[in-house]
Amino acid sequence: MPPLRDLKPWHLYLGVGLALIPVYFAFASGGDAQSAVFLVVNGAAPPAVLYGIRLHRPELRLPWYLFAFAFACSVVANVLALAQPNAPEPSLSDGMFLAAYPFAAAGLLLLMFSASGRHKLAALADAGIVTFAFAVFQWTYVMAPAIRAAGGTGERIVDGLYPAMDILLLAGLSGFFVSPAWRAPSFRLLGAGIGALFVGDEVVGLAPSSYSAGSWIDTFFLLAYVLLAVAALHPSMTELSRSRSMPTLRVSPGRVGVLAAALLVAPVVLVTQKLRGKPLDLYEVLSLAAASSVLVVARFTGILRALERIRLRERSARAEAEAMQRQLAEQNERLLEADRLKDEFVALISHDLRTPLTSIIGYVELALDEDVGPVLDGERRSYLEVVSRSSERLLRLVDDLLFVARLQAGRLVLDPTELDLAAIARQSVTEAQPRAERKGLELSCFGEGPVPVQGDRGRMFQLLDNLVSNAIKFTPEGGEIHVRTRQTENGAVLEVSDNGIGLAPGEIERVFERFFRSSRAVDGQIPGTGLGLFIAKAIAEAHGGCISVSSRDEGGTTFRIELPAQLETGAQMPRAELVA
Amino acid sequence: MSEPLVLVADDDDDILLLVTTRLRRDGFEVVAARDGDEALALVRAQRPRVAVLDIGMPGLDGLEVLAQIRADAGLRDTRVLLLTAKAQESDVRRGYTAGADAYVRKPFSPAELSSRVRELVDQTAGTGQ
Repeated sequence: MPPLRDLKPWHLYLGVGLALIPVYFAFASGGDAQSAVFLVVNGAAPPAVLYGIRLHRPELRLPWYLFAFAFACSVVANVLALAQPNAPEPSLSDGMFLAAYPFAAAGLLLLMFSASGRHKLAALADAGIVTFAFAVFQWTYVMAPAIRAAGGTGERIVDGLYPAMDILLLAGLSGFFVSPAWRAPSFRLLGAGIGALFVGDEVVGLAPSSYSAGSWIDTFFLLAYVLLAVAALHPSMTELSRSRSMPTLRVSPGRVGVLAAALLVAPVVLVTQKLRGKPLDLYEVLSLAAASSVLVVARFTGILRALERIRLRERSARAEAEAMQRQLAEQNERLLEADRLKDEFVALISHDLRTPLTSIIGYVELALDEDVGPVLDGERRSYLEVVSRSSERLLRLVDDLLFVARLQAGRLVLDPTELDLAAIARQSVTEAQPRAERKGLELSCFGEGPVPVQGDRGRMFQLLDNLVSNAIKFTPEGGEIHVRTRQTENGAVLEVSDNGIGLAPGEIERVFERFFRSSRAVDGQIPGTGLGLFIAKAIAEAHGGCISVSSRDEGGTTFRIELPAQLETGAQMPRAELVA
Repeated sequence: MSEPLVLVADDDDDILLLVTTRLRRDGFEVVAARDGDEALALVRAQRPRVAVLDIGMPGLDGLEVLAQIRADAGLRDTRVLLLTAKAQESDVRRGYTAGADAYVRKPFSPAELSSRVRELVDQTAGTGQ
């Protein structure tokens, strides 16, 4: 039981309605009190349906209005029947009762159409098959006996019409099973209500004389009124008119069973009648059976077509997936080819650029050699010195590009030995001294050796040279550059500081990016590729160290490298394996 | 004592001339070869103290010539210096594994190459070659 505050209108209505059924039988049969209870249960239904529409605002309202109208007809019919209990059949009351059915059936059909979505035809066919099969049964056992019974023509027709109307309602219900709507509680309530009505009608139809006001059969009618009204009050009523067709119709054993049973109804009924020696309505039964068979065949055809469509869709989806896979494989091959071409290209530059550079640098060196040959005049010497400097710069550029290319390919391999960082710093400073002096810079090295670290000697020189060259490049004439090394607890620290142009705010984070050039370098037209610091960082990190930079806005930059004393073996060994 | 004999093998004429010029100026006697086969023949015929071999040569390449020299017991005193334009560290390793005594990467400074050759010659000075 839900807590009291969570009680919904449909809880209340169902509870009160069901409670009124025993109350009805508590009163004297055929008495005014009993009639009043019957009218209350019946009469509450139309407003309940209207209230349900207002409460839940379904997309499709017409079916529910039709239900409300059908209920209203039944209320009028019941009032008339009570007012004139002995009116001759067919009475006005019977007319009103019978009028209610088509409206209710129309409402059901509308809901069915709306709920079945893409499967409207399938819904209609299912409804038709059940209708025709049930009609065979209904005709043979209920309608035909009623029509053939003794009595006035009008009375016999009315007795025969009630069972016919039940066929309509059942037909409306059966079409719902092609949509997920049949799982909605509201649909189940609707089905239960129609079921109760149907049982009541059938009992009366099979034995018309057994019914009188206050009879036990009224239980079914009362139950039907309550359940049908609750169906409209239940929140799931909106689902009945929402088109939510199933993606594909499944051929469940249940569905096939119903279709097969529908085909069997006619022969079974005919055989039973024959055995019982009852009249055979061959034309009626066979024409209904024929109609039913046509629909079954149509329905199976539809199912087969749907299966075929699914099969075709699957086949094309599979073909598509295969094509996609082929395309991926081809792309992969092209990528591998591109990668191979890139490696070849790198190898090519490494060879073809280095060979002519060897000649240029070597012959210029020979030409500048003062020990041999005629002494050059100052002007020619200065030209050759420009060639020398430029070719050294070109060589450095080629080396940097190759280094980065190999780094990108994951091929930075260290050849680690025991090193004295202080000695390397001193040597780098000594080698850079002529360049610093040419620019009027004071370049000095601080730090007492030795500062032992493990590392690749060549790479360590490259790192220092990159930082010192960088400082020389970005420090204007008269500036100072300091290189410091010192041993720390965990290893070594190297600092290269200058009082040069510094970095603009916001550039600190980007200074180690590949090809990054600071705005001041670009503005000052200071040449460079933006690779030096990227390489410095890569070397520091390959040694298990780190690099950081601090810069004062008014100028001056300090690069700080921290290196561990022990090189973690294995850190770069996997990469070394890649080379081979 | 005559000037120490050095063999230089390189398929690039400019480099060959550069190296031989530098070495001759620095007081070496130099024989030049343009490919691996010629280099090997000259090493066997003239027994130079040092062989400067370019790795990338047509025919026998520098590493193959080195292997042949190391395989010949009569040439065990020949010092070998490899030259290469290849930037791969793996080539350096392969060179040392194959038994090279020194390794100079292109582009090089002729003066530096000359001093490396001088070091190798000094190492063999005691052998009486």
